[in-house]
Amino acid sequence: MDWFPFLLSAQVATLATGINLVVGIAIGWLLARRSFPGRDLLGAIVTIPLVLPPTVLGYCLLIALGRASPIGQALEALGVPLVFTWRGAVVAAAVSSLPLMVQSCRAAFEGVDPELEQVARTLGRSEWEVFRTITLPLAWRVILAGMILSFARALGDFGATLMVAGNIPGRTQTLAIAVYDAVQANDLTRAGILVTILSIFGILTLVAVQQLGRRLVA
Amino acid sequence: MLELEIAHTWPDFHLELQLTIGAELIVLFGRSGSGKSLTLRTVAGLFRPAFGRVVLNGRVLFDSQSGVNLPPQARRVGYVPQGYALFPHLTVFENVAYGLRGPSAEIHRRVMEWLDRVGLADLAGRRPHQLSGGQQQRVALARALAIQPDVLLLDEPLSALDAPTRSELQTLIRNLQRQLNIPILFVTHNLAEAVLLADRIAVLERGRLLQVGPPKEVLHHPARVEVARLVGVRNLLRGQVRGLDPEGLRLLIGERELRARPNPLVPPLPAGAEVLACIRAEHIAIVRPDRPLPPERENLLEGEIIGEMDYGLARALFFRLHGPRLTPDRDYDVEIEVPPYIYERLGLDRIRCWTIAIRPESIHLIPAGSE
Repeated sequence: MDWFPFLLSAQVATLATGINLVVGIAIGWLLARRSFPGRDLLGAIVTIPLVLPPTVLGYCLLIALGRASPIGQALEALGVPLVFTWRGAVVAAAVSSLPLMVQSCRAAFEGVDPELEQVARTLGRSEWEVFRTITLPLAWRVILAGMILSFARALGDFGATLMVAGNIPGRTQTLAIAVYDAVQANDLTRAGILVTILSIFGILTLVAVQQLGRRLVA
Repeated sequence: MLELEIAHTWPDFHLELQLTIGAELIVLFGRSGSGKSLTLRTVAGLFRPAFGRVVLNGRVLFDSQSGVNLPPQARRVGYVPQGYALFPHLTVFENVAYGLRGPSAEIHRRVMEWLDRVGLADLAGRRPHQLSGGQQQRVALARALAIQPDVLLLDEPLSALDAPTRSELQTLIRNLQRQLNIPILFVTHNLAEAVLLADRIAVLERGRLLQVGPPKEVLHHPARVEVARLVGVRNLLRGQVRGLDPEGLRLLIGERELRARPNPLVPPLPAGAEVLACIRAEHIAIVRPDRPLPPERENLLEGEIIGEMDYGLARALFFRLHGPRLTPDRDYDVEIEVPPYIYERLGLDRIRCWTIAIRPESIHLIPAGSE
């Protein structure tokens, strides 16, 4: 049994979730608490990975980050190329799971009574302190649920990852891609094991999210 | 001292008022949607009107002309919104300490001092959801006052509480006001509460200040017909001034002549002036046959009770005059309110024909056209 895909997937999903935590909280907070021109457009853009076919998403990332693009060239010059590396898999997983994180964060912040923040301001606390001591502590459960969902989604990404990072065994072959690879190679036993493990993890994730949700109501 | 000027227009609402408040408790009184809460939020810096000025003890908090707009953090206002907005994840102690800075021993001392003042010292470790409504309101008061604000803003602070708790907190707020010596803006739509607590009442209706004055003045000398309705004047009768003599004003109301006192708040009304006569239902007396008649100068009118309503603590009687009427287009002329024991004692349920007396000083006149 080759354990590399497990380790790679865990690493990719963890990093993707870490990135999404920061980006998702920032965008979710903007969408929930600020009104600015283009807010609906921003909301649409961060949701689009949910409705686009993963291959389309992967294609867009490939064009945006590939060798021919300015971003790709800049990254190459810095010595951290993304395309066809495990870092590309992180970007693909992060982008495809971002909608879940943003939506959870937005709902989490919208669930905090703005009056609490306003009172905190009249009590002399700065915007950042209000966010840190009032908004975030009251929103974190829903954010955590979003994190778990987002992690599971990142772990299971196939299409976008394949387009951006490729299928290089021992370098960019994640769990989901390894399943595809095993089926192509007619190794159904290996595919079955991988599928079972992924499915069990998926179910555990959803159970955890539901329990978080219930404790929120209680 | 708080100087306040606000003007802001929405598609369907216009708020415009000007108010100067000393170290007193001023009640903003009016229906919901009249602009009371917005006024508080303007002072707190949570709403920015298009035009206006907020000056607190000489400190400019907001001035639309010079573009000054201090954030809520820099205003030193104690704000208690409707529903208290206690931080649910913090203890009572942490809520009160939230706005305090400095060495923790000093914070501890100040928090405990305030919890003691509002009578909650033994509940410092509780969370808001473990407290009753009255206790939550006390925490909100302590939290707002612990920062030593220059003004205290209370938005419907007692409207969600039961009667005994409300009465306790009214006493607490009155006592705090005497000790603190800062302006307090207290929003309510409850007339009895406004009268009980206010040094002055500011009556708001649809974004405008209709009258500002001591409770007695607003109750007994409403400046406009809307104020009269808001303060519960149930008899508003159209009439005309006939003339003024040493006995007072002679009024023609409907087909009757009544005597009234001149309104001290408006210039003397000339003969012929159209007026609205405000008579509080509880100021009309039923003349008891076993007592001597009141002096001649009172307005004595004969008639009968044609309907009534039982409010439990009071009875409203609908009284129709015999002979010439005050309001010929309506089936009754005046509404009278009597306490239940008078109702029982006089047997008003059986005996329907009576003489009523209206003292001239109980008839308050509003120039017509101020509607």
